Amino acid sequence: MTGLVRAELLKYFTTRMSWSMPLTMFLVGAIFAAVQGLVLVLIGEFPGSGGEVIRPAELFDDLTLARMVYTGAIQMGYLLALVLGILAMGGEFRHRTITSTLLSAPRRGRLLTAKVTGLVLVVLVNGVAFVAGSLLGGGIMLAVGDAAVFPEPGQLLGTPAKMLLILVLWGLIGFGLGVLIPNQVIALFVGIGVTLLIEPLLGFGLTFVDQLKEAARYFPSQATTSVLDLFAGVDDATAQSMGSADPLTWWVGALVLLGYAAVMTLLGWVVTTRRDVS
Amino acid sequence: MNSAAADGTGVSVRGLTKTFGSFRAVDDLTFEVRPGRVTGFLGPNGAGKTTTLRMLLGLIRPTAGEALIGGHHYADLQHPLQVVGAALEATGFHPGRSGRDHLRVLAATHAIPDARVDELLELVGIPAAARKRAGDYSMGMRQRLGLAAALLGDPQVLLLDEPANGLDPEGIRWMRGFMRHLAREQGKTVLVSSHLLGEVEQTVEDVVIIANGHLVREGTMDELHGDPAVLVRTTDAPTLAAALARAGIASAPEDQPGSLRVLTGDLARVGDVALAVGLPVHELRPLRTDLERLFLELTESPEHRNRNLEVTSTTPAGAAPAPTGARHTDIPPPTGADAPVPAQEENR
Repeated sequence: MTGLVRAELLKYFTTRMSWSMPLTMFLVGAIFAAVQGLVLVLIGEFPGSGGEVIRPAELFDDLTLARMVYTGAIQMGYLLALVLGILAMGGEFRHRTITSTLLSAPRRGRLLTAKVTGLVLVVLVNGVAFVAGSLLGGGIMLAVGDAAVFPEPGQLLGTPAKMLLILVLWGLIGFGLGVLIPNQVIALFVGIGVTLLIEPLLGFGLTFVDQLKEAARYFPSQATTSVLDLFAGVDDATAQSMGSADPLTWWVGALVLLGYAAVMTLLGWVVTTRRDVS
Repeated sequence: MNSAAADGTGVSVRGLTKTFGSFRAVDDLTFEVRPGRVTGFLGPNGAGKTTTLRMLLGLIRPTAGEALIGGHHYADLQHPLQVVGAALEATGFHPGRSGRDHLRVLAATHAIPDARVDELLELVGIPAAARKRAGDYSMGMRQRLGLAAALLGDPQVLLLDEPANGLDPEGIRWMRGFMRHLAREQGKTVLVSSHLLGEVEQTVEDVVIIANGHLVREGTMDELHGDPAVLVRTTDAPTLAAALARAGIASAPEDQPGSLRVLTGDLARVGDVALAVGLPVHELRPLRTDLERLFLELTESPEHRNRNLEVTSTTPAGAAPAPTGARHTDIPPPTGADAPVPAQEENR
């Protein structure tokens, strides 16, 4: 088993992805966290849902503000993690390396287990680059805007950890998608399209339907927001005006994301063990 | 697996069947590959060779029957690369990964050291290219890299799918020599598929010939050649035939006037008999079975006509569908062993 995991890691570290992906993660983290910092700290005001002007620096304590800035790139981050997950399996079919892979590891269940393990490690490496970028980009803006860069470090530390967790979970969701849809191009199209467009719109639409309001909380993007637990310690009314409607407890959100990943991977597992590779 | 290697690991295919929808790619196929010999797995394009090899390797699930290597299913082998090496067509390489790294990835699954990877790159003759991105490889280099991958675990059994495809004449010569080396000097069991008998004729000892998913012929190369025969040309064939008959040698007239086909391998004896009855010998030579023609006869006989060449889509709308095989695209029968046979990609 360790041999199979080693092989999976080698696959990742022997292509240009091994440095281009972490670099992208770092830059995306830095840029989007900086933009978030620019809006929340430097510009310092924007219209709320009721038409009133919100000044985040006045509204939130230092800790919440820092959290919001540092996690500004999370959407882009988990999108990239999703891509990593899709490529882990999709690339094998796209480049027809699946044949040699299955010849060296004919038991497909073991292969999938090794791939999942390898992917988690790869996403963690990329996640560290992403978090580093976010801290740099966001930190600069907080410093420039005269806000506290590391308020209450002990409590703030949970945020990067949760960001890593989110990236890993989205990587696994991507893996499930890649196993289920062996055509890499279609899998990427579906994955990015749903994540970026369809799911948020659908979730947003549902918030207007009273009976379905509850369901939207379990959608991937809203579950992800719950995991970040940005508004811990902020009163509900303010949190709601920031668009966070009654979120799940952070670990429930994590379990929901894990559920998506597990269902898709298991379905893909069943399909994979019966699939003819020709 | 070392004990199995000592007695030699064979391959056996029993009642193997695979259908894709209504298409029977492989139909109740049964054959054995004897350990320590080179067996040619022959058939026209689309006969089901690749599907059979992929079922042997657990890549395709058989609809019925089984395909075993040394008595085991491929997926049940603890260390498959150390038992069976396979170089299949349509095996891909990540274009951005070097050939050496491709092998290192495979080696990692079996804890095979990098030194073995370098040794093989040397052996197949691409040590210099090995560190370049595989996307830039020529067809010949890809074939060699595929072969190196097959040999990685020093397996007893080798399954090679059309190994000469895409190779230049020099590459084909190298490949032939290499297969002979593997079988004769290292005693490996080799099953090599080809759509051209001539391509493997000098290399293989046994043949398994299939057409349209069915077994057509299985046996040794000598059996395929048939009994030895001699052509003799003289001025009075009937007299010579009678004299040969008295000497206990059967013969039959050939098309050419004054020629006899004599069923013996002993040229001197035929010459002696002719001398004894005072007939001049104008020509005396061993008749070689035209294997390529035999191969075509076997695989293109009416019941084995290539199903993939049947023209169905060009039947005019409204016209009664042509009976199976009737609209067969005719390929003129080749006149010699080296007549070109159109090379096509396997269509699966």
